[in-house]
Amino acid sequence: MRYLRLLSIFYRNSLYTEMEYRANFIANFFMSAFWLAFAILGLHVFFYHRDQIGAWGYYEAMLVVGFYSLFNGLIEALLQPNLSRVIEQIRMGTFDFVLIKPVNSQFMASLRHLSIWKLADVAMGLGICVYAMVRLGLVPSMGDLIAGAGFVLCGAVILYSIWLMMVTSAFWFVRIDNISELFTAIYETGRFPVSVYPSWMRGVLTFVVPIAFITTFPAAALLGRAKVPLLWVALLLAAGLFCGCVCFWRYAVKRYSSASS
Amino acid sequence: MSQIDVHGLAKHYRVHRKAAGFMGSVRSFFQRQYQNVKAVDDIGFQIEEGEVVGFLGPNGAGKTTTLKVLSGLLHPTAGRARILGFTPHERQSSFLKQITLVMGQKNQLNWDLPAMESFIVNQAIYDIPVDAFRQTLAELTELLDLDPLVDKQVRKLSLGERMKCELAAALLHRPRVLFLDEPTIGLDVVMQTRIRQFVAEYNRRYGATVILTSHYMADVTALCKRVLVIDHGKLIYDGDLRAMIARLAPYKVLKLILRSPVTCEALSPYGQVVDCNGLRAVIRVPRETATRAAAQLLGAVDVDDVTIEEPPVEAIVSELFDRGQVDDAPTQREGAGNAP
Repeated sequence: MRYLRLLSIFYRNSLYTEMEYRANFIANFFMSAFWLAFAILGLHVFFYHRDQIGAWGYYEAMLVVGFYSLFNGLIEALLQPNLSRVIEQIRMGTFDFVLIKPVNSQFMASLRHLSIWKLADVAMGLGICVYAMVRLGLVPSMGDLIAGAGFVLCGAVILYSIWLMMVTSAFWFVRIDNISELFTAIYETGRFPVSVYPSWMRGVLTFVVPIAFITTFPAAALLGRAKVPLLWVALLLAAGLFCGCVCFWRYAVKRYSSASS
Repeated sequence: MSQIDVHGLAKHYRVHRKAAGFMGSVRSFFQRQYQNVKAVDDIGFQIEEGEVVGFLGPNGAGKTTTLKVLSGLLHPTAGRARILGFTPHERQSSFLKQITLVMGQKNQLNWDLPAMESFIVNQAIYDIPVDAFRQTLAELTELLDLDPLVDKQVRKLSLGERMKCELAAALLHRPRVLFLDEPTIGLDVVMQTRIRQFVAEYNRRYGATVILTSHYMADVTALCKRVLVIDHGKLIYDGDLRAMIARLAPYKVLKLILRSPVTCEALSPYGQVVDCNGLRAVIRVPRETATRAAAQLLGAVDVDDVTIEEPPVEAIVSELFDRGQVDDAPTQREGAGNAP
């Protein structure tokens, strides 16, 4: 409960901070719209000469684009801003102020800031999903909807955990801009259903960097193509990665050496 | 048992070394060479509730590291520390709620928002009841004269004003132990005095324990009866400040600016001439006779300006380190070299 209250205060402050810079807000909105249009255009090009790719039709693949945009919004609204701040804090030594607070340090470090305008991506992603479903005439069953929501939740946890592990590596490497760039590049592959890729890459995107769990499987669930066992795998993976990132974080904090003053 | 109880505390770092220049960088990219640095090496002391203790030592002596181990930010390599009955590095929230850390060179306030917003965040973080929060804030506002500051964006405040807000933010939860790391660094003399007065007043009012590191001797002399001197990670003095100064630096420093050149020999009767280049001179004179010597000099030579200064803390401390221990130090100290 206390943590929810903290979040509401943190995000209220984030909102105030962003309102200090008005031009940023407008620029941001256009950026989001532009990137979404770009993603859909890309999809269009793919389907120009054929109706199906990897057993996915145009509007089915558009669902994947919707989830891609939704999670991209989460990355940009929540993960990216906290990542860059934690790295800065570790480099400058102000991370001391995070550790000195009687609040879980991982919570403080990873959820402290929110770029509220970037949530527009989340809304647009949801909008695209709804639009695709309407065009498909798709009315998912209750079970499929719950499975879809389950996959989205797991996807969010998986994404958070991978991201946090990258942040944690900053305790050793200090500057990890390129690591996060690399992840962003890999995440780009999530624009398309994982089955469009050659099989080796499909394996990598499912088991090594589980992007498939983030964008493809929620869409598949809505289409009634992802069954319960896969959801269990997603849950296990999410739980495992989350525990992993918590342990890694604790280990890193223990080894933290602080920048000198 | 003492409020702060430290035994055999050590903190070693592994730092990588890099030779200067391009080849050094290349070599260090492929093969890092590490070196073990003993930042804190076998330190022990006790501090009672309500004491104000100063940590003294040159740059890199281990003051800040000690402070960070005590506040739970760093895990000690060896030894143990107990503060208020807690082990700091476990960072239990009931421990963290009773301490605070202020660093003169780092700020925790949100740069883009008024300080008040950061205060409210801290209220939530420390779970401070609304009534207690209002009362503490009112008291701090009065003590630090915060009224005109809290509603301005932090980035628009001056360094000194920001420091006041930092202090307030760090004290809202009424900590019982304060760790202040160079709280007056970079501030002008008026603001330094102001911060000092505040710390003294806070200690008097709430009986809080204060542990302070500073480069400014004036901070320490104004606030601390007791000092711990650390050098190269070792504790080389623990005791009364005045006794230490009297023992190690029984002199003050007279700085003269002269209107017409004077020879060094002409000045030597007044004290030990450290530096003299015609129009400027620095003389060490015994503490008790400093004022008299200055008065005599004003009469005897053509003086444009004269100041009487405390010997710089770095000089005292390095002198202390040269000797190893205060107790072993011979009482007579003339000609020990080591100009400030």
